[in-house]
Amino acid sequence: MTPSNPLKNSMFVMLLFLVGVGLVTRALWLERVDDEGAITIYSGRSEELIRPLIDQFTEDTGIPVHIRYGQTAEMAATIMEEGRNSPADVFFAQDAGALGALTQAGRLVALPDDLLQAVETRFRSPRGYWIGVSGRARVVVYNPDRVASDQLPDDLAGFCDEDWRRRVGWAPSNGSFQAFITSLRITEGEDAAAAWLTCMRDNHTRDYARNTAIIAAVEAGEIDAGLVNHYYIHAMRAQRDAAMNLRNHYFDSGVLVNVAGVGIVDTSQRKAQAEQFVRYLLAETAQRYFTDQTFEYPLATQVEPNPALPPLHTLSTPDMDLSDLDDLGGTLRLLEKSGVL
Amino acid sequence: MPTNSPGGLTAATPPSTVSRRAQHARGATKRPSLSLRTAAGVVAALMLLPLIYLIIRTVELGPQILEILARPRTIAVFFNSLGLTVAVTASSVLIGVSLAWLTVRTDLPGRHFWGTITCLPLVLPSYVGAFALIAALGPNGMLQRLLAPLGVERLPSIYGFPGAWLALTLFTYPYVQLSVRAGLRGLDPSIEDAARSLGRTSSQVFREIVLPHLRPAIAAGALLVALYTLSDFGAVSLLRFNAFTRAIYVQYTGALDRGAAAVLALLLVVLTFLILLIEYRLRGRARYYRSGTGTSRTRTRTRLGPWRYPAAAFCALISLLALGVPVLVTGYWLLQHEAGGQQWVGSLTIMLNSVTASGLASAACVLAALPIVIHAVRHPGPISRLMERCAYIGHALPGIVVALALVFFGARYAPYLYQTLFMLILAYVILFLPLAVGSIRASLLQISPRIEEAARTLGYTPRRALYSVTLPLLRPGLFTGMALVFLTCMKELPATLILGPTGFHTLATRIWGATEEAFFARAAAPALILVLISAISIWIILEHEEKE
Amino acid sequence: MKQATQANSGRTMTEELKQTHAIRCRALCKAFGDVEAASGVTLDVAAGRFLALLGPSGCGKTTVLRMIAGFETPDRGEVEIGGRRVGGPDVFVPPEQRRIGMVFQEYALFPHLTVEQNTAFGLNGRAHRSERIHDVLVLVGLEGVKDRMPHELSGGQQQRVALARALAPRPEVILLDEPFSNLDAGLRDRVRQDVRRILRKAGVTAVFVTHDQEEALSLADEIAVMIDGHIMQADRPERLYRRPATHRVATFLGDANFLPGQASNDRVECEVGTLPLMEDAEGEVEIMFRPEDLLLTLDENGPGEIIERTYFGHDQMLSIRMNTGTILKSRLVGCCRGLHEGERVRVRVDTPVMAYPYAYGCPVAQA
Repeated sequence: MTPSNPLKNSMFVMLLFLVGVGLVTRALWLERVDDEGAITIYSGRSEELIRPLIDQFTEDTGIPVHIRYGQTAEMAATIMEEGRNSPADVFFAQDAGALGALTQAGRLVALPDDLLQAVETRFRSPRGYWIGVSGRARVVVYNPDRVASDQLPDDLAGFCDEDWRRRVGWAPSNGSFQAFITSLRITEGEDAAAAWLTCMRDNHTRDYARNTAIIAAVEAGEIDAGLVNHYYIHAMRAQRDAAMNLRNHYFDSGVLVNVAGVGIVDTSQRKAQAEQFVRYLLAETAQRYFTDQTFEYPLATQVEPNPALPPLHTLSTPDMDLSDLDDLGGTLRLLEKSGVL
Repeated sequence: MPTNSPGGLTAATPPSTVSRRAQHARGATKRPSLSLRTAAGVVAALMLLPLIYLIIRTVELGPQILEILARPRTIAVFFNSLGLTVAVTASSVLIGVSLAWLTVRTDLPGRHFWGTITCLPLVLPSYVGAFALIAALGPNGMLQRLLAPLGVERLPSIYGFPGAWLALTLFTYPYVQLSVRAGLRGLDPSIEDAARSLGRTSSQVFREIVLPHLRPAIAAGALLVALYTLSDFGAVSLLRFNAFTRAIYVQYTGALDRGAAAVLALLLVVLTFLILLIEYRLRGRARYYRSGTGTSRTRTRTRLGPWRYPAAAFCALISLLALGVPVLVTGYWLLQHEAGGQQWVGSLTIMLNSVTASGLASAACVLAALPIVIHAVRHPGPISRLMERCAYIGHALPGIVVALALVFFGARYAPYLYQTLFMLILAYVILFLPLAVGSIRASLLQISPRIEEAARTLGYTPRRALYSVTLPLLRPGLFTGMALVFLTCMKELPATLILGPTGFHTLATRIWGATEEAFFARAAAPALILVLISAISIWIILEHEEKE
Repeated sequence: MKQATQANSGRTMTEELKQTHAIRCRALCKAFGDVEAASGVTLDVAAGRFLALLGPSGCGKTTVLRMIAGFETPDRGEVEIGGRRVGGPDVFVPPEQRRIGMVFQEYALFPHLTVEQNTAFGLNGRAHRSERIHDVLVLVGLEGVKDRMPHELSGGQQQRVALARALAPRPEVILLDEPFSNLDAGLRDRVRQDVRRILRKAGVTAVFVTHDQEEALSLADEIAVMIDGHIMQADRPERLYRRPATHRVATFLGDANFLPGQASNDRVECEVGTLPLMEDAEGEVEIMFRPEDLLLTLDENGPGEIIERTYFGHDQMLSIRMNTGTILKSRLVGCCRGLHEGERVRVRVDTPVMAYPYAYGCPVAQA
């Protein structure tokens, strides 16, 4: 029927109008949030992970925080596009590459020396423009019931062995994996990295969509080992509180520890408060939080990692500037060329 | 008195399409009012913002542009995307047209049910849908586990072209279906009856009469599918297909090279214009579907006979893949987590945020689309056509490009608006205006300009005629446009993350935040709410259509 | 063409000046790209008259109507409605202020409004609104269906709603664009009479566009014949039929016989004898007379032979081939009187005939 009932029609229009008024009111209400002296953080780390920490910071220091969550690289690109008018005071990145890119674009300011001292040089910008806050190591997850720890290879090349055919899992589309390949390219050279990838592929290494799927596959016995970040098994163990019989294996050398780090944006109007935030992240409370809640490595030297983790100083990390991890394009090309992606 | 006048004998037959067109053109030659032209111009100019941004970024590069374009990979990826777009569009048209026909014009059992259910996949964000498909059909996925006892060790890989094709087809065919449904309903059944009476079988009628009449509707739906496919990043990245958007993202996220990304995005714009040109050709000259005097409404349904069962099975299969799998997977996440109940806490605010932004954006889109459409339909010409085509640029660009363009302009030239809801809504308008333009245009084409002229002769100014005649008659198109924009905004991610007010969370950002950290259980609740709310908006579209 | 209008206005120049004109068009020109839809159209409609703008499709008549309504702006020329200049080089009054009513070819009823609401549409805020609606609906005979929606009406009813809607605000003039073309033949005749009656009763000036000469002749007080963007002739129907100004007008208005002849004063010599002329002429001319003017007498030795006979009931049309090869048409009212195909006849014309200068219009042509 053609709308022929004027009463019904006008009621419908009225309803629509009321909804409209409601939405506009709500929109205006939203705009009114404005705290004096608040700092704005652009975070590539997800809200799920760091929200409690931010709340704690505001409670402890009285500095209100506006925080914008997004993908690390998108947040970095946003800061670049914003130019002079960027509202961002602090950039909290999930990985070092984006911090390196912002440094290169001249958008970060050098941090004071005493702050930089808190972290080992290998986990911060060599020139002091950004600093690592927490670290995650690339490890091999395995099931000790199926594989004895001494049967595991000491280095990457070991998984190319005939023995490991169809027994290893990886997640080539995962960002952490790709950062790891980038470090491999930088430290070992393109050819060596390509050779290893091809060899792994020919050895029928199994593809998974993400790290958690690898963990599940190892647990289910589909595969015997998987290339993942170190914290998954700890986090899952905590989440499920059921016993999970998986272990991490650390290579003797070339253990990439990628960092989540922060930098202060050059156009910030509240550099002092921003610095206070960076300090807070490197202080005991925050570092404890990373250790206990996310099972990452605390990077401030004076804080001990979770006892379940091998101490940082025992890990032999590749000799490189983590800022160089921003060459993701080259890595993707390599992954595709070698048929892994 | 016998007659020798040239037109005398034909007086009794209805005017041919040709003379109707001539009159349409005649009504159109009057120049648009300044305010209409200005409004349309302003909207079109806003739509150009991303293009201007891309040009600024590209020009900065200088000679490097050629080097980027000439990379063999750039070219290969370009053709990847082109191939995917063609394939997805073709399969979406196939599925969309069959489903629309089955649910509107046949005696398929449960037509209404299938009609609604098969439109629902539109509400799924492609990043959720693609993820669910991987969980179901991927390596070690549900299907493989089901088949494992039968000795099936490995399924054909879902990654790459087949997966991207499947996922995008499944989540975009409803655009074609919705558009064709409207077209089928607008089709005068007497034309079909006439063809049947001339000895055509029902399948011949479909091929020779119905399909050509549906051409504009199919072209409009296919255009949306093609542009969506071009701009999608979620599905292609999860399914690891090397599409053009992925190349653009790599420039942003990997190399953080905005210049190179801009060059590639510009290439995408060129491709968009090509697609728009093809659509324009396919659409043909706009036509009225029904003459003013037609009063017959009886519609015969094609009897499917024994074909009922395969037809129903087809509907069921599509629904299962496109809707069943994602909902099941999401439900599974929810159940998997014991503390699932806790996840609903705080959902209300987030839900209201989503509805506020999407609701205002859908109203804004309709308001912006009106001058563009009225200008283009009532005053056809190169300028008005160009303005209308401008509306489509944003839709073909990945969300991040549009978002960064607005970051660029907003932070520089409108710092007071930057990171307000206003900016986010502007981004939604730039991204999704075509959805409103398409459905409003379809509606307006069915309103004869004579009706507006009749109001003018009765003392109504053009503006009053617009309010009291055109807009009330346009209502179906306005509602459909609003609902389409609404549900598309609900699932939008990159622009929401980058441009929303600081601390502004929506269902989409919440889902993303949770999946990012692999807390799928926490993603489940917002995902289900999103699907539910969007399903309501689809239901409104269909309900409204039913009434017309 | 100029002559044509002058021929008309010459007749009543002084009389016309005294009359008030509801519509005056002066030298209207309008081109769409390369196509000239109207070239110098001059047209006057006296108040209360019913004028038909008659012409083949594509001759520009609808464009003229739309220029009067204000939907097209003339490239040159002027339009006056009720003595007020509404269109011209320096004025343009928009349609809504011209006090016109228009009935469109496809009626353009508002599909979302009832019959009553459609009728009331132009009456916003007027006094005695409901009485006026009632009166108009009674006038068109639709009082009983005022709550129906347009799509629930028959074609003829829709037509009358369109008329009621246009009449309700008491416009200065009513413009009708091919108002009967959407009706089927059976209905058309009745609706025509209805419309004529309604318009007469409303006492309104009306212009209607049609390509059907029968419609124009039977309905209008005056007809303007338009061909290729020009008004060829404007006059009362009888005069136009009897005295078409040109060959083309003659053909367009109905069947006609054309013959070459030699004119001298009020007489012309031609194949069928010496005939009286309507107006004096000299020299070589083309004469025109209607088939009903050609009288036949059976005669075995007559110069013509009946080669075709078409019977219509109330009359019949015969084609006669003369010995010279010329073919003439004759319309006869009443019964047959033995006029069959193959019979030989004598032909005769008693009534005065039209004569056109030979160089004017087309050379002798088959009617």
